[in-house]
Amino acid sequence: MDIFDRVKALQEEIDQFTTQDAEALEAFRIRFLGSKNIIKPLFSEIRNVPNERKKEFGQLLNTLKQTAKEKYDSTRAGLAQTTQKGGDIPDLTLPGMPVAEGAFHPVSIIMDEVIDIFRRIGFSVAEDREVEEDWYNFTAMNTPEDHPARDMQDTFYVLNDPGRLLRTHTSSVQSRVMTTTQPPIRIIAPGRVYRNETVSARSHCQFHQVEGLYVAEGVSFADLKQTILYYAREMYGPDARIRLRPSYFPFTEPSAEVDVYWGLKDETDYRITKGTGWLEILGCGMVDPAVLENCGIDPDKYTGFAFGMGIERQAMLKYRIDDIRLFFENDRRFLSQFSAAK
Amino acid sequence: MKVSKNWINEYLNAETISDEHLGEILTDIGLEVEGVEQVEKVKGSLKGVKVGKVLTCQRHPNADRLSLTTVDVGGEAPLQVVCGAPNVDAGQTVLVATVGTVLYGEAGEAFTIKKGKIRGEVSEGMICAEDELGLGSSHDGIMVLEQDYAPGTHAADVFEMEQDTVYEIGLTPNRSDATGHIGVARDVNAYLRTNEGWTDALSMPQKMDTLKTAPKGSFEIEIRDTDRCPRYSGLLLRNVKIAPSPDWMQFKLKAIGVRPINNVVDITNYILHEYGQPLHAFDADKVNGNKIIVQTLPEGTPFTTLDEVQRKMGAEDLMICDGQGTPMCIAGVFGGLDSGVTEQTVNIFLESAQFDAKAIRRTSYKHQLRTDAAMRFEKGSDPNITVEALQRAAFLMRELAGAEVDEVIIDQYPTPVPEKEVVLRYEMANRLIGTVLSADKIQEILLAMDMKIVSSDEVSVTVQVPTNKTDVLREVDLIEEILRIYGYNKVPLPDKLSYVLSFKDADKNLINRRKVGSILTSLGFSEMMGLSLMSSNKVKETLGLDDKDLILINNTSNTNLDAMRPNLIFSGLESVAHNLNHQQRDLKLYEWGRVYYRNEGGEVVEKMQLSILMTGDFRPEHWKVQGERKSDFYDTQSVVRALLRRLGIKTFQEEVIDGDEAWEYGMKFFRGPKALAEFGAVSQKLLGGHNIKQPVFGALMHWENIAPAAAKAKILFERIPKTPAVRRDLAIVIDSNASYAGIERIIRKAAGKLLREVTVFDIYKSEKHLGKGKVSYAIKMVFQDPNKTLRDKDVDKVMGKIIREVEQQLGGHIRK
Repeated sequence: MDIFDRVKALQEEIDQFTTQDAEALEAFRIRFLGSKNIIKPLFSEIRNVPNERKKEFGQLLNTLKQTAKEKYDSTRAGLAQTTQKGGDIPDLTLPGMPVAEGAFHPVSIIMDEVIDIFRRIGFSVAEDREVEEDWYNFTAMNTPEDHPARDMQDTFYVLNDPGRLLRTHTSSVQSRVMTTTQPPIRIIAPGRVYRNETVSARSHCQFHQVEGLYVAEGVSFADLKQTILYYAREMYGPDARIRLRPSYFPFTEPSAEVDVYWGLKDETDYRITKGTGWLEILGCGMVDPAVLENCGIDPDKYTGFAFGMGIERQAMLKYRIDDIRLFFENDRRFLSQFSAAK
Repeated sequence: MKVSKNWINEYLNAETISDEHLGEILTDIGLEVEGVEQVEKVKGSLKGVKVGKVLTCQRHPNADRLSLTTVDVGGEAPLQVVCGAPNVDAGQTVLVATVGTVLYGEAGEAFTIKKGKIRGEVSEGMICAEDELGLGSSHDGIMVLEQDYAPGTHAADVFEMEQDTVYEIGLTPNRSDATGHIGVARDVNAYLRTNEGWTDALSMPQKMDTLKTAPKGSFEIEIRDTDRCPRYSGLLLRNVKIAPSPDWMQFKLKAIGVRPINNVVDITNYILHEYGQPLHAFDADKVNGNKIIVQTLPEGTPFTTLDEVQRKMGAEDLMICDGQGTPMCIAGVFGGLDSGVTEQTVNIFLESAQFDAKAIRRTSYKHQLRTDAAMRFEKGSDPNITVEALQRAAFLMRELAGAEVDEVIIDQYPTPVPEKEVVLRYEMANRLIGTVLSADKIQEILLAMDMKIVSSDEVSVTVQVPTNKTDVLREVDLIEEILRIYGYNKVPLPDKLSYVLSFKDADKNLINRRKVGSILTSLGFSEMMGLSLMSSNKVKETLGLDDKDLILINNTSNTNLDAMRPNLIFSGLESVAHNLNHQQRDLKLYEWGRVYYRNEGGEVVEKMQLSILMTGDFRPEHWKVQGERKSDFYDTQSVVRALLRRLGIKTFQEEVIDGDEAWEYGMKFFRGPKALAEFGAVSQKLLGGHNIKQPVFGALMHWENIAPAAAKAKILFERIPKTPAVRRDLAIVIDSNASYAGIERIIRKAAGKLLREVTVFDIYKSEKHLGKGKVSYAIKMVFQDPNKTLRDKDVDKVMGKIIREVEQQLGGHIRK
């Protein structure tokens, strides 16, 4: 056979080659691409080719070699993609039986985060009732009658049960604990609170708070500041800056609102910080001596601080949720988005 | 509350302080700046408006009422302007809004001057009237300037374009001292004196200091309710000329959002925002008997207020009445329609009083009249400012309204309120603040706030607190004042974090709840949080409850949420329904929530529970398994058993629920009288309440009973047996109405302690092979004796006993 015909036959063999079998493919590899492949010796035949056809012959051999390599690669890739009955390795690209994936609720994720930050510095969790007595929610907390916080607009009162209401803040847990425990007291009180407000994207008639209370001998405003700074740095990063603004709560004196520096990186920042770069994160203050006295604690001996913060707002900021109602609709497509959070 | 920087500067001279710094100071001293606004006296500040000289003026060829003018505005060529004003004439110096100028209408709407054709003639600008430029209200033709300004001069250079910075302040209810600009200036001054080395006192506004008070005068005042009205002062002003107030006053009022009306009304508003003291002006000629009576009226007395609404007054609402007892005004809240100042008013009786904060608050809320005056009185106003405010008013009325001021201010003040003396211990201040402020520093701050120091010694200082600080009554209040001015942010941080040890095991409950949450989320359940509030009608209809069983709420904002949920499964179904309505049909949810109801004694009960709900596919369809796999009763059972096991609760009793309110069928686990958990197929009744058509399975865990048991759970290691275990299987054919639990109980009893494990691994029904109403259970048993290796004959003996017991007690037989 003419040497050109031999090359042509080989070229045809390569072009025609097809297989579903890994062994056949391996045989192909050994024949055309192995260390003792069939193409290699043909290169030494080149000296027997007439000079005028030497170039053409060389090109044919190169094509032969190259198409063999291409054929091998594409066939191997094809084999890996389809299941092979009786093959050694199954198709690994098929999806396995999914492992169940649930998610925690974003409110409980943030609430637990806050709780853990304070548990690390010795605060214990205290919980109490939501259907509360007026005295614990307001009177004990130095909120006299006719105070704005007592407005019918804001408080849910229980019908046909004078003096009973849905707590408007977790501060009621302060009076519950202080009337039953003598200092030192160091608690955080997470829980659900209620306000008589129309449900909208921005406000809801139920939401969650975490309250903190520390009463002992010699507790000062400086201690409060440091505890709050610790919280801000744990929650908003080690470089967080805070500022305290004098404010007013009936149950603390002095009272402060605390802002954390959020920055003004984009338009959202301008909106949520009213263009100041500062974002309000909590309210706090030194427990008013009248509150201590109401609860049977000697205000000359003990001082204390308290703070309270909303949870939904923090969750909305962190996850950029723009409608508070989503928290309580429990749409599966909402809940499942937080599976990686905790 | 809006605060103008220009206005503050009248008392404080703080022009050198930047807008930004003043804002920071306000926020630092507790007058939180919630917004800052730049205000222009004339919107747009006349940009683009130029002085023009009318060169020619002739009738418009196509319109009788229009003129065609050429005006030199300093450009290369004069402009042709069509003008509609009758008074336009050649030679006048006028103001021209050139093409591109933006002018603003009375309501602030913008319009741009364009080049255009009016009735066929080109017009390249507009010759403006006063009101079109915002320089006044006159529309009587174009504005003609008397002075001869060069054409092309910018109008802004001719007229003073005053500007102001206005701060929106969130005033907290304790700041009765800062309800007016003087109060705010005083506080800023205290800050500057304490922190920035200022020494100046405030410059107080001009007033008629010489005007004295007397209990009686041209008018008589009778206070019949001195609790609600501790002080009432008034002044008669004769021959008042009602007119617009001057520019400077109008601009100041406008800057803080108060609409100018006329000089008399504007002066009362001005003093309100200056001193924080509300005044009320009566038309003196409408006050019968020249007498004011301050009193309450019988319940239901009708009264028509300024807004032309007739209201029914309550017996608690304080009214200002004339000498015949006819009501003229709701004291401190809102004026009457018939007694107010009108354009025809000649003589005015001006009221400056102090009313009880609570009384004002009640009345204001009851009638939904949240006026500026009411908002100030309800913070607690200063009884000792009424006369000074009238002296100031007298000055302004004389200057701006030509009033003849009566000889005396009539003043009824039966029980004068003295400045309260408060003792401040230096040690207490420093203990509470946590820093060291010297006695000198503390006194310096007190003086900077205009407080008087009565006496002082080494340990304390006695201070007279001005009566405008109605919230500063105690030592701790004074400490807050000092800290506020000293600066919250200047308090140094201690170098250690204070800590107390807690030996309580209070967090065990929390830890166990978190454990349950972790297990459930790992099993594919997502945590949900439903509403605690539901519709009472829905609850009553579906659950068959009465009002007396429920905790009902006066939900005025959302009337369909008026009962606390008594059942966590029922409330949770609301979220299930929401999902089903949004094509989310495969759900696994759990919720930690409280339920609230009244027990038989009517007492409020509130309990923490855990609910678990599942519906639709248990797992998605998958190529490895044939067909779909729906959630069912056994899934809830497995979850509940697993949770109890993981909480260390090993022993409990079980009971089948053959249908009740909550469950179509299900089971209940309990310990003695205490229910631990119940679960099953949610009843059609509950599903129907939410219009849910597909089956839902659920569980309710009674956490109040589980938590204590879980907290007590102990783990004690058991040695791993070294002997081999023996497996035996048994197929028991039995009536299909017998329960598997019964079989297992008999097996356990018969097998005794050698049995380690028993479980059913196949259930087979076949009428052909087993007979009608029979079922075969394939049961696997594992036997083991920790102390010796079991021989076949040992196990055979036990198996024999098991088979005998099953045959005798259950009538079953063994399938070979």
